Amino acid sequence: MLETTGIDATENAAEDVLHVDAASVRYGATTILDQVDLTLEKGEFVCVIGPSGSGKTTFLRLLAGLVAPVQGRVLFRGTEHRAPSREIAIVFQDYANALLPWRDAEGNVSLALEAAGVPRSERSDRIHTLLRTVGLAGSEKKFPSEMSGGMQQRLQIARCLAQDPDVLLMDEPFGALDAMTRQKLQDELLGIVRESNVTAFFVTHDLEEAIYLSDRIIALEPNPGRVSQIFDVDLPKPRNQLTTREMPEFLRLRRELFDFIERFEQ
Amino acid sequence: MRYLHRGLWFLASLALLVGLIWVWQLLADARILPRAFFPGPDRTWRALSRGFASGTLVADTLTTLRRLALGWALASLLGVGLGALVGTSKWAQAWIAPIFEVLRPLPASAIAPVLLLFLGLTDSMILTLIAFGALWPMLLTTVHGFSNIHPRRKEVARSLGMGRGAFIAKIALPGALPDIMGGLRLGLTVALILVVVGEMITVQGGLGARILLAARAFNAAEIFAGVALLGVIGLVTNALLGLVETRALRWQRR
Repeated sequence: MLETTGIDATENAAEDVLHVDAASVRYGATTILDQVDLTLEKGEFVCVIGPSGSGKTTFLRLLAGLVAPVQGRVLFRGTEHRAPSREIAIVFQDYANALLPWRDAEGNVSLALEAAGVPRSERSDRIHTLLRTVGLAGSEKKFPSEMSGGMQQRLQIARCLAQDPDVLLMDEPFGALDAMTRQKLQDELLGIVRESNVTAFFVTHDLEEAIYLSDRIIALEPNPGRVSQIFDVDLPKPRNQLTTREMPEFLRLRRELFDFIERFEQ
Repeated sequence: MRYLHRGLWFLASLALLVGLIWVWQLLADARILPRAFFPGPDRTWRALSRGFASGTLVADTLTTLRRLALGWALASLLGVGLGALVGTSKWAQAWIAPIFEVLRPLPASAIAPVLLLFLGLTDSMILTLIAFGALWPMLLTTVHGFSNIHPRRKEVARSLGMGRGAFIAKIALPGALPDIMGGLRLGLTVALILVVVGEMITVQGGLGARILLAARAFNAAEIFAGVALLGVIGLVTNALLGLVETRALRWQRR
């Protein structure tokens, strides 16, 4: 079993970034994730959906190295990984706790550069480029408390990009934002992922958001949390908030995902 | 508008202070208490200006200020340092924290004779006394501030690959700063009390010693002058620390 996956991992080393191999996570006697498998390819955008209690966030934390599997393993670029790595950035839902309120926008982005040992002279240029990338040019000196929720989440994304990651893990990052801001950030995120060629793993409970962003959707089912179905999303890129959402394929997937979630609502 | 409002309040409190000094003068003039025991503001002021003119009061004030600053700085370093250790290390929490619980209820003034035995009538004795007493508020507020760090910030630090030192310096300490600043102010009040106690015991110069000697000579005006000066020191140092706090925590007010 171990030998075969070892060969698989080396064969696909050029393409596979993260590889989850029959991994289980338990808290005490409760099994949160049971024998999940997943392979993330470079540059791919994968969304995770599922009813509450299906272990979406735990799945993300497993990939992040914030929780270790009790069985199975997680391979990052072919080697086993059980602790967080700078190459895997995490965008948390609660941006207010993830950002440092005593540092302004520049300072918050700088934190990632300081941690990576980037010399002071190089930081300023990179900070400005990153803030421009997420649409925060002109807000360099603003403190998080002076920013809207959307701006704060942009700032957190900028800090994650400052890590220069291979993988961007996002835990319902737009869950707390209003609909308009959410759509704008979805488009900006797609642009960022396309340009940086980062691999994106995105947890959401918004099914339409999942279809709009994804190349592939992983549907989890609860008790215990496990992969139930995988949906391939064959929608043309770049996506468009109006036309993409009106396509028959979009509507078909929307129907399928709603039917899937419906099963667990009773 | 807000500045006008604050200005008016400041004037009102100033008027109250002037009124109280005036009442003090009236009481002293009424001779309800003997003049020898209860000098008015006029005689206190004269004792102050006499002391400043001769230079002895300036020297004593500077001595007290130096001891206050050093003792308080020592207490701050120890308090925040140990607090950071206990706040971030399970090992320190298990082994060191119980010792604090035994030492903390001891009144600092009761420690003074013990310190006197070991350190004699020296500055070191006064500084150690201040450090022992003023340490606790800073230690406890630092531990409290550190234990209230949101778990998300620890995860951010881990995912950024920050070491323990960087985590303390860049996330834990600034996050605990609102609590620590409160501890520093409380510690300053304790330090002022203990510098006077220490000086009264050692009698090696300083305002505490000056007040004690004046009391032995039944020189009431001199006592009042010393007490008034200590009051001003307390007021000014606290206001300075308040300014530092406002500056250090300006991100909170936005």
